[in-house]
Amino acid sequence: MNRITSVVRLHLTNPWTTIILPWMIMGFILIANIAIWAIILGAAAPEDRADIREGLGYSGSTTYFFVYIMVLAVQAISVTFPFALGYGVTRRDYYLGTALTFVGLSAMFSVGLTILSVIEEATGGWGLGGRMFTTFYYGDNWLQRLFIFFVTFLFFFFVGTSAASIWVRWRANGLIAYFVGLAVIVVGGAALLTLTGTWPAFGAFFVNAGLVGSFAWSLVITAVAAVGGFLVLRRATPKSS
Amino acid sequence: MDESRPLFVQLAEQIENDIISGVMAEETQVPSINEFAAFYRINPATALKGVTMLVDEGALYKKRGIGMFVAEGAQARLTTKRRDKFSTEFVTPLLTEAAKIGITSEQLADMIRKAAKA
Amino acid sequence: MTAIIEGSVIEVRGLTKRFGTVTAVDDATFTVEENTIYGLLGRNGAGKTTLMQLLTGQDFATSGDIRVFGQSPVENAAVLQHVSFIKESQRYPEDFRAKHVLKSAPWFFENWDADFAAQLVDDFRLPLNRRIKKMSRGQVSAIGVIVGLASRARLTFFDEPYLGLDAVARQTFYDRLLADYAEHPRTVVLSTHLIDEVSNLLEHVLVIDEGRIIIDQDAESLRGSATTLVGTASAVDGFVGAREVLHRDAIGGLASVTVLGLTAQERTDAAAAGLELAPVSLQQLVIHRTNTSEKEFEVSA
Repeated sequence: MNRITSVVRLHLTNPWTTIILPWMIMGFILIANIAIWAIILGAAAPEDRADIREGLGYSGSTTYFFVYIMVLAVQAISVTFPFALGYGVTRRDYYLGTALTFVGLSAMFSVGLTILSVIEEATGGWGLGGRMFTTFYYGDNWLQRLFIFFVTFLFFFFVGTSAASIWVRWRANGLIAYFVGLAVIVVGGAALLTLTGTWPAFGAFFVNAGLVGSFAWSLVITAVAAVGGFLVLRRATPKSS
Repeated sequence: MDESRPLFVQLAEQIENDIISGVMAEETQVPSINEFAAFYRINPATALKGVTMLVDEGALYKKRGIGMFVAEGAQARLTTKRRDKFSTEFVTPLLTEAAKIGITSEQLADMIRKAAKA
Repeated sequence: MTAIIEGSVIEVRGLTKRFGTVTAVDDATFTVEENTIYGLLGRNGAGKTTLMQLLTGQDFATSGDIRVFGQSPVENAAVLQHVSFIKESQRYPEDFRAKHVLKSAPWFFENWDADFAAQLVDDFRLPLNRRIKKMSRGQVSAIGVIVGLASRARLTFFDEPYLGLDAVARQTFYDRLLADYAEHPRTVVLSTHLIDEVSNLLEHVLVIDEGRIIIDQDAESLRGSATTLVGTASAVDGFVGAREVLHRDAIGGLASVTVLGLTAQERTDAAAAGLELAPVSLQQLVIHRTNTSEKEFEVSA
């Protein structure tokens, strides 16, 4: 356990990459959005503003943040893995420590985003009717949002982890194979749904599961990515380039 | 330290020289193995071997818990040993080299006398 | 946690590592004894780094057996927590400064000595607040050397640790290593091609060539084991006879041969035969035994 927590501390030794920079990016996205909303509203004729406010309710800009989280996971693993092994850490302890770090960061980021969503509600969309953290697909209340944020962060962290493990073990060729494989699965799945005419059933599945339920199902993919990442990393060797 | 002979032999000779010249007086403490190793930049195991050689010869002795000391009479004994070796180590090679370039023993003796006066 | 047994620190039997058709380590068998400084010598690409990666569980053997502290090192925290491996090519996290390395190292090495690390930082004039990415090659090497020394792991590997360090800094490294080793005995494996520089530090030498261990010998006996004889070709060849010759050079009527294991009597005979005897340094010996050009070992850090 001690070695696992040491790995967690290693990831947080320099909080710049794992904590400070992500929040700066989040802050930048928020400020940019508020600025854009203000410009749009300012330019619009008073009578159109109500309609425009309606349109501002669907900002997808938080997506960038989630994608950045995936990059963060890849970066963190590709540089700390060979370093930690030089410190005499086993791959198992390294992976568990890294996973624990990512779960912790997911919790921190999701609590932060939930707080921002509450502020967004309380200020009537930052005084402009804009909605970044309270768009409909993040749920109806703060508790749902907290859950959805959390599982989404987990999803991006661990998909990033699986990609990073493949990079560490097989470098670029492995990643290409990985993404080609993923594309084949997605396209193949879509083709299968089309050919069998089961798109409606597919859609009904999510309707039945509900918003929160649908997000909960992502945990299955997250778990597969996490276990797969572990199996790949267990046989990886640190490379010098 | 040169490459031709084992390092521990060279270390032992260095210490012998210091005993003969009186730098390391009898019944005084000599540096520790680690100090020798650091000073001559050699592995401590090698230094230990050199010092052990002198202990076996009776030039140094161990005081439990304190360290290594120069034995009484070591200076005289080492000087005698060196004198015994002088002929084989210095005179024989000198004669060999002299013969190679055609210097006779008499000429050599003259040269030594002259050099000693200068 | 499993108890660590005493005895040989490393025991390797029939160890082989293949990468595709390349055999990087070829049926190696040797032991490493406790509290000894080993030199792992050989030309570039001889298999030194691969061997150390195998011994530290960073790579996986194709066949053969490795015991470190009596156990397999692969994924074995009980073994690896006592191992420090400093690589020439060691990578550091992108955003790290030297201070981050020194801050995190004690979490992984129970014997870490912070005061010693601080003294070494002064010795090597390491800028603690500079990002590692912006450091010179020598400064990056200094970080590795400091971690390797201050970690005081029971088993420490230095793989060509001083790329970019100048002669003064390298001497500092040797001096600190020797002094600290004397006070805190431990097992050190030093892999290098600057053999002359480290020769007097070593107690035991392993020479690896094309993946095979070709010399596994006490440094002291190895050092005096070869002699170069110089003289007229006829005198040299007459003396050498059927002896195994490691190396032979000839200019005109003169010849120079390197042979192993001359007795005192044979040395006297050789001198009487008009031959010049010259000692062979460890570096020259390794060069002769691995059929390497001098140059390869002089490509200094």
